[in-house]
Amino acid sequence: MNTGANEGASGSARLTPSRLRPSDVVRVGGSGLRSRKTRTALSALGIMIGIAAMVGVLGLSESSQADLRKQIEALGTNLLTVAPGTGFGGGDGVLPEEAAAKISRIGPVEVTADVVTLQEQPLRNDLVNQNETNGLTAVATDLDLLDTLNGSMSAGDWFNDATASTSNVILGSVAAERHGITDVSDGVQLLIGEKWFTVIGVLEPFPLAADLDRSVLIGKAAAESVFDVELNPSIVYVRTHPDFVDDVRAVLPATADPASPEEVDASRPSELLETQDAIEDSFTNLFLGLGAVSLLVGGVGIANVMVIAVIERRNEIGLRRALGATRAHIRRQFLTEALLLSTLGGVGGIGLGITVTWAYARAQGWDVVVPTLAVVGGMAAALLIGAVAGLYPAMRAARLAPTEALRAA
Amino acid sequence: MTAGSASLRPALELVEVVKEYAGNPPVRALDDVSLRVSRGELVAIVGPSGSGKSTMLNVMGTLDLPTSGSVLIDGREVSKFSDRRLSAVRSHSIGFVFQSFFLLDGVSALDNVANGLLYSGVREHVRRARAAAALETVGLQHRLGHVPSQLSGGERQRVAIARAIVNEPSIILADEPTGNLDTASSETVMSLLRELNTSGSTIVVITHDREVAASLPRQVAFRDGRIESDSALAEAR
Repeated sequence: MNTGANEGASGSARLTPSRLRPSDVVRVGGSGLRSRKTRTALSALGIMIGIAAMVGVLGLSESSQADLRKQIEALGTNLLTVAPGTGFGGGDGVLPEEAAAKISRIGPVEVTADVVTLQEQPLRNDLVNQNETNGLTAVATDLDLLDTLNGSMSAGDWFNDATASTSNVILGSVAAERHGITDVSDGVQLLIGEKWFTVIGVLEPFPLAADLDRSVLIGKAAAESVFDVELNPSIVYVRTHPDFVDDVRAVLPATADPASPEEVDASRPSELLETQDAIEDSFTNLFLGLGAVSLLVGGVGIANVMVIAVIERRNEIGLRRALGATRAHIRRQFLTEALLLSTLGGVGGIGLGITVTWAYARAQGWDVVVPTLAVVGGMAAALLIGAVAGLYPAMRAARLAPTEALRAA
Repeated sequence: MTAGSASLRPALELVEVVKEYAGNPPVRALDDVSLRVSRGELVAIVGPSGSGKSTMLNVMGTLDLPTSGSVLIDGREVSKFSDRRLSAVRSHSIGFVFQSFFLLDGVSALDNVANGLLYSGVREHVRRARAAAALETVGLQHRLGHVPSQLSGGERQRVAIARAIVNEPSIILADEPTGNLDTASSETVMSLLRELNTSGSTIVVITHDREVAASLPRQVAFRDGRIESDSALAEAR
């Protein structure tokens, strides 16, 4: 008896502990999933949808914001616009003719340009009905418009003193598209107020000046001589020194119309874009919330599948214990299984999210931006959910007594 | 006694083992059982259901601990071992064969057998090589890639036996190994166990079947948690 105990002690010293190699942990966890493919796919799908929603939403919002930022940059944050007020006084809807000239005398103002919306309707030719303007407007502009708005030409040239005082037009991007004009070399002509004008240029789209894109532009001098109209500006574009934007804005109404400054609207278009940005942000948050909910549901799905697996595979657990698995080995096996499941869902979801972002952003003409945060965060969320969802079933599996687990089902 | 001489150490020894299950009154499943299984023995533990056979299997296999008494596996007193150390004993010293085989579905015979070495930290290619050898020992070298559903009952049990011997345990515990088999397959499985014994394996077969028991060299009969008779002791007397 004593001898036996002694031998036991010496024997214990030689007892090699059970050991499950890390690669085998993954292999064992994976084989559990492989043997139940449909169930694996379905429960991974839950996580996949959640992750795809989050990655897609973040990707799309990032792509659209990148596009907005590009617009803001193109527009410049130092652009101000002055227009007749629509506020309390209502006003007469007219700015004094010399408003632009006065504004350009404000110290930090670098360049100004004003445009005048004309009553005369631009028509493709003399055969179409008076009302078929294609939604386009005739606008008289001064020469500084292109500089002030950082615009550029897609065809032809911008006005010079000569072309601005004769019967020439330059088309906004939308106007050109509606008339199907891309080439100006053959001297296409349009009709404005029963007078023929030659198209000498086509503009690229202006950032945040859709009105101008829908315009048929003529020089102010030409407008004055051909139509004999008063040139009260419909809108004055003001480019200021970037450090004095607010100061300039504050004095704009009184400068533009000293008689009734309250009837003048001075605004900063980049602020509109920023507001748009903020609105999109709140939509993003809403969709992120929805994504989070579906992730949560996906996590519950995984927990559910794992709990069922533990019950169904009682005998397997018993067998593994008989083969020498420790409680920790069993726990690790089931936890790994849950993690692999959620990894599968995470990788699939990230792939799907990127695909959706790519497809939608391309369709919108945006640059495709897939935020690293969304990818890393999505993967981390998937793993976290797998770990949390797998923990309870894994502990339950590990706690199962070998004798009970081996009882025939 | 010359301590440390492995050949003299019994493969399995139970000393005054009592196993009680909680209840009112407590159920005494094993009542003062002492049993020694020497190396190279082939022993049948036989008894009707409820006689304590299953409890014997659990205690001998370190799946359950005795309420009192000692259990020595390969000379190690394991009755106070932690769960981790018991697992280690099972992974190195004990091979199990179960009535319902407990093979993993959808896993090849080769990998099912290789699982017998999974928890001893052996690399996969070594596990597979040894599993192939074990399958050859049980005469299934032509079934390596078959999954359990493609095998007959007798073949499944032989795969399970290969899994039990692949880690070269000190003792093999077979719990009703022929319980789910027809007569022909039972005969194959029993003669396989006898062959393994002839080539040196120590095997304990737990069965309710007196015929199966009678075909083995030593029979230990159980009744009401006690050893009713032990053919080895009877001969000694």
